[in-house]
Amino acid sequence: MSAMTFALKHRPAQRVDMSPLVCQRLEGLDPADIAAIELINGKRKIRVDALFSISGSDAQHIVIANSFAKLDFIGRELQGGQITVQGSAGAYLGMAMQGGVIKVSQDAGMFAACEMKNGYLQIDGNAGDFLGAALPGNKQGMKGGTVLVKGDVGARAGDHMRRGNILIEGDAGDYCGSRMTAGTIAVMGQTGRYPGYAMRRGTLLLWRQPMLSAGFNDCGAHTLSFLPILFASFRGLDSRFADAGEAFNRVRRYGGDMAELGRGEVLVRI
Amino acid sequence: MLIKLTGGTVYDPANGVDGKKRDIYIQDGRIVSRPQDVQVDQEYDLRGKVVMAGAIDMHTHIGGGKGNIARILLPEDHRADPVVRTAVTRSGSGHAMPSTLVTGYRYAEMGYTAGFEPAVLPVNARQAHMEMADIPILDKGGYVLLGSGDYLLRMMTAKKDQQAINDYVAWTLHAAKGIAIKVVNAGGISAFKFNQRKLDLDEKNSHYEVTPRQILQTLATAVKELGITHPLHVHGCNLGVPGNVETTLDTMQGIGGLPMHLTHIQFHSYGTEGDFKFSSGGAQIAEAINRHKNITADVGQILFGQTVTASGDNMRQHANHQFANPNKWVCMDIECDAGCGVVPFKYRDQNFVNALQWAIGLEIYLLVDDPWRVFLTTDHPNGAPFTSYPHLIRLLMDRSFRNDMLATIHPEAQKMTTLGSIDREYTLNEIAIMTRAGVAKIIGLQDRGALSPGNWADITVYSDDPDREKMFARPDYVFKDGELVVRDGQVVKVTWGTTHIVKPDWDPGIEKDLQKYFDRYLTMKLGNFKISDDEFTEDGRGSLTVQPTRGGAL
Repeated sequence: MSAMTFALKHRPAQRVDMSPLVCQRLEGLDPADIAAIELINGKRKIRVDALFSISGSDAQHIVIANSFAKLDFIGRELQGGQITVQGSAGAYLGMAMQGGVIKVSQDAGMFAACEMKNGYLQIDGNAGDFLGAALPGNKQGMKGGTVLVKGDVGARAGDHMRRGNILIEGDAGDYCGSRMTAGTIAVMGQTGRYPGYAMRRGTLLLWRQPMLSAGFNDCGAHTLSFLPILFASFRGLDSRFADAGEAFNRVRRYGGDMAELGRGEVLVRI
Repeated sequence: MLIKLTGGTVYDPANGVDGKKRDIYIQDGRIVSRPQDVQVDQEYDLRGKVVMAGAIDMHTHIGGGKGNIARILLPEDHRADPVVRTAVTRSGSGHAMPSTLVTGYRYAEMGYTAGFEPAVLPVNARQAHMEMADIPILDKGGYVLLGSGDYLLRMMTAKKDQQAINDYVAWTLHAAKGIAIKVVNAGGISAFKFNQRKLDLDEKNSHYEVTPRQILQTLATAVKELGITHPLHVHGCNLGVPGNVETTLDTMQGIGGLPMHLTHIQFHSYGTEGDFKFSSGGAQIAEAINRHKNITADVGQILFGQTVTASGDNMRQHANHQFANPNKWVCMDIECDAGCGVVPFKYRDQNFVNALQWAIGLEIYLLVDDPWRVFLTTDHPNGAPFTSYPHLIRLLMDRSFRNDMLATIHPEAQKMTTLGSIDREYTLNEIAIMTRAGVAKIIGLQDRGALSPGNWADITVYSDDPDREKMFARPDYVFKDGELVVRDGQVVKVTWGTTHIVKPDWDPGIEKDLQKYFDRYLTMKLGNFKISDDEFTEDGRGSLTVQPTRGGAL
């Protein structure tokens, strides 16, 4: 069986809600039924076959070919299987996904991995603002799973994050890890202003010295034996995070944000 | 254009009609007597259907800043409940605090044709009216909030005479375009700003040295002397505090026979007995209402589920913020005028306190004898969204359904209520009183709430169904000002209602002192504070309707 492939025929002017096209909802459907699914496109509805040419039959591996930045909600609430996006993804990529794998060959829009519960999400390009965050008004962001971004991410990555790992090979924008309750965000590149803003607990693991606000206290240099174990867990990833040369166990530790609970930590490689 | 509604079973308590077959004629938006020699243009066969006037919600938070704060605080409330447009209606969203258009559609689809916003802060009145102007179909009006404002409390500290206070009350009603006067936690909203965290009926505001009892008496007297039909609309002290039943009884007693309306009285009927030090004062309150003929009340029933509480009572909302669910809340100060608190709540049937609150509300409904003096509300959205009214009506009309529900709530709460032993079932006529005739009478709406010739034709037609929830959720027809706006529970035409106000007289000399006060203390100029009539009508769809005051003067 070959992967079920949805190749975009033309780029619509308005955004498309892709949430019906996830493995568990397509499993067992006839090709005609899949073709007839209606997607919300701006204020109208459009049939799947009006937007995509469909081939292949394996609903457990979906490929979205010629994808671009207006295809929102790809992999929403995905429970298992794999979605491969060839091109860029729009906003809310992998929102509330519960399992499975999503891989994007280019960029993702805002709110990627928003309120993600489990599974693995890999973005080979950049990600927008609010990566792994909570929806506006909600109190809990990403709750589990792993997100890997090979490029840069926008502001507020991990806002209200609760559990899981966000791994960023490039730079992070302002307010990285804001309002975190728990979980780990690792950034190899530069972080923007106010990292860890109002974080309660959780860990920011940084390769470069951040510009920390006054709410963080320097707790000195430490050798932390859990770090090699953490890096070992990244070994299977297709990423620089798997590279033994990038691992370290010696860090300077900052505690904060004292404007909040203050039990979060920023660990900086030394 | 003459419309004939043929053969419906009419419940029109204002005219003493209790389930009689009647024909109703509508001409030019109004109900008319059977006309001679005029051709009927359109006839609706209503044989076997139940016909009532359009329902009126006397206490529903549908306008003003707190609604928008709740919307901003709870985007998930709107995300989870999208409403798509139809050929005649526009899109919107929201469950606990719906968007304005959806508010109007949903009310109309339940047979409601008017709703009154009970907490219009004078300084924010323009926004409240503009927001309500965006609610389709319904007639609306606002109760102007006084009783914690700096100017009034200064007057009382200075022992100004009643006449001066009457002038200020009438002037404020005029400036803010209200139909009645509301007091929220008299003096308490102000006391909160001076760091008092509770204020009993006879406790002095630490800055102004006046007590809630004095404020209530002063304002109730003003309302009476100005000839305003609706009694002083009172949200009492100590909302939600166990033991507040004593305060509420004292409030009734202490008003000295002046007319007074106690709103969402369920929240003010709590005792301190039992293992959990929380018990029902429902029977005592109902008995007191039965005894004091000057007192009217609406219940503010809670129903289980997610909602949001929005109130001017920042003192009590601040105290209750620890129960916020989801855990986020807002309290704010509104200039020298008032305050505001928005706290989301999830009432749960397996929570002892919530379950007993539910039972207390129903006890009060069922133990107050006179349906002309108790009104159907959930204090939308504070006890539950208004969309739960059909469910509430079924609880009142259907004893076995009520007892089935009672059997599912927290077992300790079941032991603490007499609800199971109450046999009363409301009749259709009594429901028509507490949602139509009685409401129109107590607010002072001259030509609404009854099916008398000459009245505006606000008419709701239901299919009689033993499941009263189903029946009241989906009327067959709703007419607003003689136009068919809802058919089979769906809006078929969007119209725009009027805004009801009163215009009691006052001495214009009062503006001299107010001018100085505004210039010195407020961010708004006196000239901007006053809302002009044009602001209601200039968009081409709003209008003002002046209801008479008792002195006869307009």
